[in-house]
Amino acid sequence: MRMCASAALPEAPPVLDLAYTPFSEFDFMRRALVGVIAIALGGGPIGVFLMLRRMSLTGDAMAHAILPGAAVGYLLAGLSLPAMTIGGLAAGVIVAMAAGLVSRFTSLKEDASLAAFYLLSLALGVTIVSLRGSNVDLLHVLFGTVLALDDGTLLLLASISSLTVLALAVLYRPLVLECVDPVFLRSVSRAGTPTHLVFLGLVVMNLVGGFHALGTLLAVGMMMLPAAASRFWTSDITMMMIASILIGICSGIAGLLLSFHLELPAGPAIILSAGFVYVASLLVGREGGILWLAWPGKHLEA
Amino acid sequence: MRTRRTALSLLAGLLALACPLGPAAAQAPEKLKVVATFSILGDLVRHVGGERVEVTTLVGPNGDAHVYSPTPADGRRLSEARIVFTNGLNFEGWIDRLIQSSGTRAVKAEASKGARLLEGEDNPHAHGHAIDPHAWQNIGNAKVYVANIRDALISADASGRAAYETNAGAYLAELDSLEAEVKGLVAGIPAERRRIITSHDAFRYFGDAYGIAFVSPQGVSTDAEASAKDVARIIRQIRRETIAAVFVENVSDARLMERIAQETGARIGERVYSDALSEPGGPAGTYIDMMRHNIRAFSAALSR
Amino acid sequence: MAAPSTAVRFDEVTLGYGRRPAVHHLHGDIPAGSLMAVVGPNGAGKSTLLKGVVGTLKPLEGAIRLDGPSSEIAYLPQAAEIDRSFPLSVYDLVAMGLWSRSGLFGGISAKDRARVEEALAAVGLIGFERRPISTLSGGQMQRALFARLLLQDAPVILLDEPFTAIDAKTTADLLDLVRRWHDEARTVVAVLHDLDMVRRVFPKTLLIAREPVAWGETPEVLSAENLLKARRMVEAHDPHAHVCQRGAA
Repeated sequence: MRMCASAALPEAPPVLDLAYTPFSEFDFMRRALVGVIAIALGGGPIGVFLMLRRMSLTGDAMAHAILPGAAVGYLLAGLSLPAMTIGGLAAGVIVAMAAGLVSRFTSLKEDASLAAFYLLSLALGVTIVSLRGSNVDLLHVLFGTVLALDDGTLLLLASISSLTVLALAVLYRPLVLECVDPVFLRSVSRAGTPTHLVFLGLVVMNLVGGFHALGTLLAVGMMMLPAAASRFWTSDITMMMIASILIGICSGIAGLLLSFHLELPAGPAIILSAGFVYVASLLVGREGGILWLAWPGKHLEA
Repeated sequence: MRTRRTALSLLAGLLALACPLGPAAAQAPEKLKVVATFSILGDLVRHVGGERVEVTTLVGPNGDAHVYSPTPADGRRLSEARIVFTNGLNFEGWIDRLIQSSGTRAVKAEASKGARLLEGEDNPHAHGHAIDPHAWQNIGNAKVYVANIRDALISADASGRAAYETNAGAYLAELDSLEAEVKGLVAGIPAERRRIITSHDAFRYFGDAYGIAFVSPQGVSTDAEASAKDVARIIRQIRRETIAAVFVENVSDARLMERIAQETGARIGERVYSDALSEPGGPAGTYIDMMRHNIRAFSAALSR
Repeated sequence: MAAPSTAVRFDEVTLGYGRRPAVHHLHGDIPAGSLMAVVGPNGAGKSTLLKGVVGTLKPLEGAIRLDGPSSEIAYLPQAAEIDRSFPLSVYDLVAMGLWSRSGLFGGISAKDRARVEEALAAVGLIGFERRPISTLSGGQMQRALFARLLLQDAPVILLDEPFTAIDAKTTADLLDLVRRWHDEARTVVAVLHDLDMVRRVFPKTLLIAREPVAWGETPEVLSAENLLKARRMVEAHDPHAHVCQRGAA
């Protein structure tokens, strides 16, 4: 393992050097890092809400729903950022709205209507991509390339995460109410349905951003794994959101370093790191981790 | 009496109707139906077979044979063919299963038999030492392909021997002049600049035959995903050896190449073709066009 | 338009799901400031009635008119509809009551904070502020929800089976709150099962069995005859039911 000799570092301990050098030496690593941070910033809190609203698999479904939109974009303009982004957004938004409205106004629950729409969407997407081109491109639509983030993509990711954070801050109360006591929400305000739709829109946006870097399959991972892990450390929503962001960022850094030093493919390495954190949290997390459940310690006085 | 005649004419009529529905070989004079697995091979077969042969290609222009998924229509085409030409060397991992499931009685002809082979780079899909399948990138090998094709056609259709030999001979001559052209252009590139990055490890035969070094961020097949270490290695190498050009070809991720080029200041060359032809009428519609296009692109980017 | 002294007016209202009426031919007024109980057998349409008033269920026929905007109604649904596993503290749950006044996007002032504490005190939940709602017992949860109702400060309060499966002490405490609301001239409508409680506490009653059986002063409404009539209401849907002809014009 060659260490780059050109960086004039002070006497840093070898471990820090391992962590620091890849980023100082290579532009593409720095970009990947920025991209991952942006994804974590937006995806973490969204993931927390998805999880609390029992919509964890919705993220996965939406990721597949985006595919035909991106496919149409690709069909018209190749692997172009604007085309695939707009296409993905459009498809995602349509499916989200359709599923949301169907579940609001008919007796079919959200999970079933979403399942119906996303399956339709996925099949359509695969068909469209097969019509146009080789299977390689389908693979790249699915897996993305976090190592190839250009200026346009980074800007997109940064905008999405800023917008998400802003929107969540504004919609915090209706979102919480929608999860906990939707009847109450409906009785005091009509913000319920729009909030829900905006939330789904945020999910779509973050997935579309994520798939440029990690592909649709892994983008969901960055949303759900940090959120699921954060559940084991706190039961306050705000803390959960912060924890999920931090976990996302750390997984990103760890994944990139693993890819750099151990030659693992970058995207999966990031998700595996997040998964590792999840398992660790599951075992030793302060709030309901398995170890604490098994050995709770002596009971308190009151 | 009348009933028997009616029955006979009815039977004759049915037989007449059945003829076009029967195996296509019933009609004459008719072309020899063959299938080639991918566009480059299809082009070679067409040149050798000429008028006598009807070639169907499975993986079309700009397609990726490494990860192609055959369709039922392909199975049908196979079942109608007399010969199926493959590259071999595991290039078309799906062909054996397709041949089996289509139930075709076609003869399988491996075009790369007897070609000068190179080992592939280590890749996660190789068990042991994989052979790099892109043998056609060496024009000398292409000549072996042509010979194999000619022989396969002759053994399936002995009456066409003369035509096949003439066609093959003419085409081999074209390949000779192509090879001379390539060597000439390579000679025109300063020796220390004969290094190229492409995103698909498919030019090793070209490099081996004509003296250009190719480096790539991915393994032999297109479905291996890049790791940061791979990319870092390429970038370091480009910087260290000041490689001037980066090429994208039609079966892999242009975005990664762009990123590498941006970071190192290397020039991004024109699109080059490795595993498939372009659309007919495009810059690489035939094998000869493809090779010519590629070498001109390399030479143009490296000579500056 | 509803007269100022009427809180809710029902105008030949039918509420239901699909074409099956849960309650039909509802016609009458709930005067402002009344303390009314809604009683009847299971499936009589009591919860449906409240949902209609709140507005979550639109009438199949007829109209429900309110005196004032629907945000002036505080509604306590049956407890099952709250997601107890959500990581929310008692304080936050109760503080939701403020949102119907200050809106979903406003801040919480020091005065508001004092009101929250007051509400918690009124229901006996001081010290529970940081507790997650998942750790509350049934009685404690009801207290918290009543505290939320207090904060909503609404002129009309609807309660759907507020004391089901609640211990006696809590029930007594919360009934005091109900009486206090009545003293404050708020309109309170409660769906209840305990007829003794109704006779003791609620001056007005509506007895329904898919349609109003009796409506007015409690002693008259809860006569043996009326109760018998209500009990005869058939719960199941009649597969051969015709279009309802009654109440037309």
